[in-house]
Amino acid sequence: MSTAEALDQPYDVEAVRADFPILHRPVYGKPLVFLDSAASAQKPRQVIEAVSRLYETEYANVHRGLYYLSDRATTAFEAAREKVRGFLGAASEREIVFTRNGTEAINLVAGSWGRQTLKAGDEILVTELEHHANIVPWQLLCQATGALLKVARIEDDGRLDMASFERQLSERTKLVAVAHMSNVLGTILPVAEIVAKAKAVGATTLIDGCQGAVHGKVDVRALGCDFYVITGHKLYGPTGIGALYGREALLEAMPPYQGGGEMIDVVTFEGSTWAELPHKFEAGTPAIAQAVGLGAAIDYLQRLGVERVAAHEHALLNHATQRLAAIDGLRIVGTAPGKGGVISLHADFAHANDIGLILDREGVAVRTGNHCAQPLMARLGLTATARASLACYNRHEDVEALATALEKVKAKLG
Amino acid sequence: MSLERYQEFVEALEELDDEMRFEYILDLAREHKDAPFPEEAMTRENLMHGCQSRVWIIHEEKAGRHYFRGHSDGAIVNGLVHMMTDSFSGLTSEEIQALTLDHVRKLNLGALTTQRQVGMMAMLKHIQKLSRQAEAA
Repeated sequence: MSTAEALDQPYDVEAVRADFPILHRPVYGKPLVFLDSAASAQKPRQVIEAVSRLYETEYANVHRGLYYLSDRATTAFEAAREKVRGFLGAASEREIVFTRNGTEAINLVAGSWGRQTLKAGDEILVTELEHHANIVPWQLLCQATGALLKVARIEDDGRLDMASFERQLSERTKLVAVAHMSNVLGTILPVAEIVAKAKAVGATTLIDGCQGAVHGKVDVRALGCDFYVITGHKLYGPTGIGALYGREALLEAMPPYQGGGEMIDVVTFEGSTWAELPHKFEAGTPAIAQAVGLGAAIDYLQRLGVERVAAHEHALLNHATQRLAAIDGLRIVGTAPGKGGVISLHADFAHANDIGLILDREGVAVRTGNHCAQPLMARLGLTATARASLACYNRHEDVEALATALEKVKAKLG
Repeated sequence: MSLERYQEFVEALEELDDEMRFEYILDLAREHKDAPFPEEAMTRENLMHGCQSRVWIIHEEKAGRHYFRGHSDGAIVNGLVHMMTDSFSGLTSEEIQALTLDHVRKLNLGALTTQRQVGMMAMLKHIQKLSRQAEAA
């Protein structure tokens, strides 16, 4: 079936579930209800098979040998890069750098662009809802350069306080780094507006799309951002692979992030010259099979249709929001308009960890804790939430199972 | 070495299925509601590191024996904390240092979740450290 044909069909969640082998294993003798995809998504067999196939039939190191297998592996690896390019709407595959994950992509920008560009008194602007990965690299950069980290506030419902953002933004702002979508609250930030405002003061922009790219279509050229970060394992791909989109002119001007093989042109003991983009930023043997797996994951998600998946998740989110509102003493943290499929829960009858442990015995997997966003938790006056997150393979039965299990928690602890 | 309370836990847990073990642990947390953990002791210094839940443990030495009290903000972990502090309070330094991870394994809570058992092992090491520190002071 072609993509166009597939998109005409109604969304068939059971057919999607059939692609994910792990969803069919029971836990504690109960059906698995997997609601922790915002931490890491499960993998369809198309991804698992792409990785196996590479190892079984086409594996060798890339960009090195002149022999058949090396050529095949290099072709598969670079084809994956082309898929990431298409997925993000970048102009050229020279703008797509493979990294280990989203965290490494952000550290690359901080370590290379940041150390080259920033000086004492310059400012980096983030928001209160950032993941630690979009806070700590900037703190390290500030320590090294004397730059200052500024924080735009959020409203109680999880929306960005745009007035606060504008107050913090000035000619001193050299970088605006924000999440596309909050991993705790589900808030989808108005990134186009943020980028436009940042550009107006001459700031460089980085969007952390680790969550955002999974739940909506991304077009970096339309968005106009300078950097966009994704991670493979949340996109139904393997762990150990992520990607950084960077505008070519910026990447071209940036020094290498790490040194080693792959990233060089000529090496002598007097000095070395760097490889062309994007290889300048890919020192050492890359995660070859993982990149190929990410390519297969992108194919898979595009065949389902990113926007159709988002619409499916929204229907589930609405169902969950209504169903959970009926449980007295339970509150959804994060209710920004247009939010994505993340449901953080706070109960006055149970600690988040108790919720997580009891849900676990019911076969319901949710994340508990501070979700690598301690400043956000402090802002919300919480130490932990239990978070259910939705993905392409979740169904209305999962929402019901979550609600029933939460009622059980309340009966036990309330 | 007097490990009566510990033996009671081992025997009680042995007879229960997983569902009832949870109830038993929650009951332990409830039993201690009459003597709540002092709020002023919920400090950063008393916080045990490396736990998913926040766990505070305080220590007292009386007549050569060590006594522990603990608390967690989660009810289930709170029950597990009480199981540990009740089990191993009233022992001498030598007795505490002689405890091994097998004492935790025998409680057979690994079936509940491996991570909770790992947490209890960390708790055992923590109370051993507290008693060593008291000894050195």
